[in-house]
Amino acid sequence: MNDLQPRKDLLDIESLTLEEIEYVLENAVPFKQLFQRSVKKVPTLRGKTVLNLFYEPSTRTSSSFEVAANRMSADVTNFTISASSVVKGESLLDTIETLQAMRSDYIVIRHQAAGVPGIVAKHTRASVINAGDGYHAHPTQALLDSMTFREVFPDYAGKRVAIVGDILHSRVARSTSTLFNKQGVELAVMGPGSLVPAGRHDFMTRLSSWEEVFDWKPDAVYLLRVQLERQEGQFFPSIGEYHRMYGMNAERLDKMRQLGAYLMHPGPVNRGVEITDEAMRYEKSLISTQVENGIAVRMAVLHWLKPQTEKK
Amino acid sequence: MARLFKNGSIAKAGTPAPERVDVFVGDSGKIERVAPEIDAGEGVEVTDCSGCVLVPGMFDLHVHAREPGEEDKETIVTCGEAALHGGVTGVVLMPDTSPAIDSGNLVKSVHDLVAEAGLIPMLQAGCLTKGRGGEELAGFSGMVSRGVPMLTDSDRPVPSADLLRRCMEYARDFDVLVTSFCDTPSLTKCGVINEGQTSYQLGLPGAPAISQEIAIDRDLSLARYTKARLHIQQVSTKHGIDAIAVAKAEGVNVTCEVSPHHLLLTDVDIGDYNTAMKLNPPLRASEDCEALVEGLRNGTIDAIASDHAPHTQFEKSADFASAPFGATGLETAVLALYDRFIRSGDFGWDVLVQCYSNAPRKIVGLEPVSIAEGEKADFFVFDPSAGTTITAEYLTTKSPVTPFLGKTFSGAIKETVFSVG
Repeated sequence: MNDLQPRKDLLDIESLTLEEIEYVLENAVPFKQLFQRSVKKVPTLRGKTVLNLFYEPSTRTSSSFEVAANRMSADVTNFTISASSVVKGESLLDTIETLQAMRSDYIVIRHQAAGVPGIVAKHTRASVINAGDGYHAHPTQALLDSMTFREVFPDYAGKRVAIVGDILHSRVARSTSTLFNKQGVELAVMGPGSLVPAGRHDFMTRLSSWEEVFDWKPDAVYLLRVQLERQEGQFFPSIGEYHRMYGMNAERLDKMRQLGAYLMHPGPVNRGVEITDEAMRYEKSLISTQVENGIAVRMAVLHWLKPQTEKK
Repeated sequence: MARLFKNGSIAKAGTPAPERVDVFVGDSGKIERVAPEIDAGEGVEVTDCSGCVLVPGMFDLHVHAREPGEEDKETIVTCGEAALHGGVTGVVLMPDTSPAIDSGNLVKSVHDLVAEAGLIPMLQAGCLTKGRGGEELAGFSGMVSRGVPMLTDSDRPVPSADLLRRCMEYARDFDVLVTSFCDTPSLTKCGVINEGQTSYQLGLPGAPAISQEIAIDRDLSLARYTKARLHIQQVSTKHGIDAIAVAKAEGVNVTCEVSPHHLLLTDVDIGDYNTAMKLNPPLRASEDCEALVEGLRNGTIDAIASDHAPHTQFEKSADFASAPFGATGLETAVLALYDRFIRSGDFGWDVLVQCYSNAPRKIVGLEPVSIAEGEKADFFVFDPSAGTTITAEYLTTKSPVTPFLGKTFSGAIKETVFSVG
């Protein structure tokens, strides 16, 4: 563990080594134990500043990072920039100039365009944490998913996770599947043909129905959030049809119970679309554990990354 | 001053290996003698070309000089200088300037700027439709009378098959070349990269190869039906080439071009969101790339055209999806093609001369240039033993945005010998 190269930014999962992943996940465990205590803060980042820069609305991820940074005793500034107030692309370099002037130590960034956190990272001494860029990556989500899965399956290698829903437009599917694959977890995908492009998931089994999913005997089913509207057009006939074909309903929940399979979802859920109210109360749902682990993992990430020292 | 180029070899179409010879260029700029051994007389400047290849000046069918309207990206002057620096002695200018070149008067105004620059012939192409709007025919006769070499909506397909049919039928009697940029916007949508494994991994919206293939099929069918002469720009797909080969075999009057970028690079080269690799059409998969090289070798592809498309560094430093399409190519085309294909023996100088000098001139109705007695001096001196590193300082174009920035190629263009008039 001690021979880890210091890392400045967390931009995606691909570039992480298994040792780095292990380091973050192991550190997240004691951070999570803190949550049981009356004083939940550690002084690790006292005097450091974390800038939460969100170009896309997100209550969950943004507050998860905020809570994580607060518990590390860092000073947090939240910046939410609505897409309409940004001249697309052109202002990015100007924004980076402004960020430099703020002298933040950590920049947590979510942006609708893939690759933006990487551009920011190249131009700033601060550690940049990608909190979701376009369809590209959401690495802290993948880390918290892995942490959650390992808590129920300490021997996770060879276990099976079926990811269900909009694979095409999901940065969660990309990052989480990449991480699970690195850790030897077996993966399958299932969803509407228009949202599960053929030939893109060499390490994942392509399943075409819930029957096939259950025959595959998953240890966990990972539901993705359905985007109800998309600029690029229509990908399935109606929400009703999606729910009937791909949603988690009572009947499918029974099958889950029989298999003893866990249920995961990155949130926020669309009740009545990818999941029914009843399924939300499933005893083997890991959804709220994912939220809790999100804070612990983000604390571990803040603890791990090393900003460049400030030039005088 | 008269000049003698000693001990060089002349590249020409039809012979893969250049032959060694001396070339004497008189005061008038005419090649007066080509012979195995010429003695330098009084007052003759002698250039030792031992080991070098003398290559006829290239002609580029697809160049965006950005003037009028976007002079911060490039001008007629900087574009002409870049062409000469890259061994290119004639270009066709795309009409997607601001305003778009869709009338005889606008063509004349650009040709006046070209004459003032006095660098190389730069033939202004005209629009097929008014303002490149894809709705009404532009004024063909005015543009033809001002000498447009082709009509094209440049980077935009004519959306209506009916309108393109009328363009082809109407153009036939003017004997002007209809040129298509083949794309199906309803499939490409907001795609910024070839659709495939790379687009998926980078999380970028993809433009599928079928966007181009379907459009090529449509335009070939229209050309077959109207019997018009058609030129297809920037072929980038395997099935697109296959369709063109079939149409040619059937006697459809079609020519096509490919860019060095698409011959050398694939979508994988985009790597970490390198916006210099964001091109339209996008860099494709390796199967497409291989099919393009084969198409060049077997003659399905007639011409190489750089699609020199300058943008400012600032515009290109945006995120990948927001950055504009295009990169410069006039100064890197010959170097990149030599380094990758000629040096390795994939094809000889003859293919380069045929596809980047003779054929493109022929497509727009010009005589090919050759290094022969009685001809005007129009060639460049290429030194295969030297090397060239592509840096912002090396480039003459205003835009240092090229996929090859920082790359070192084998070979160097020592000088381009050319004068207008």
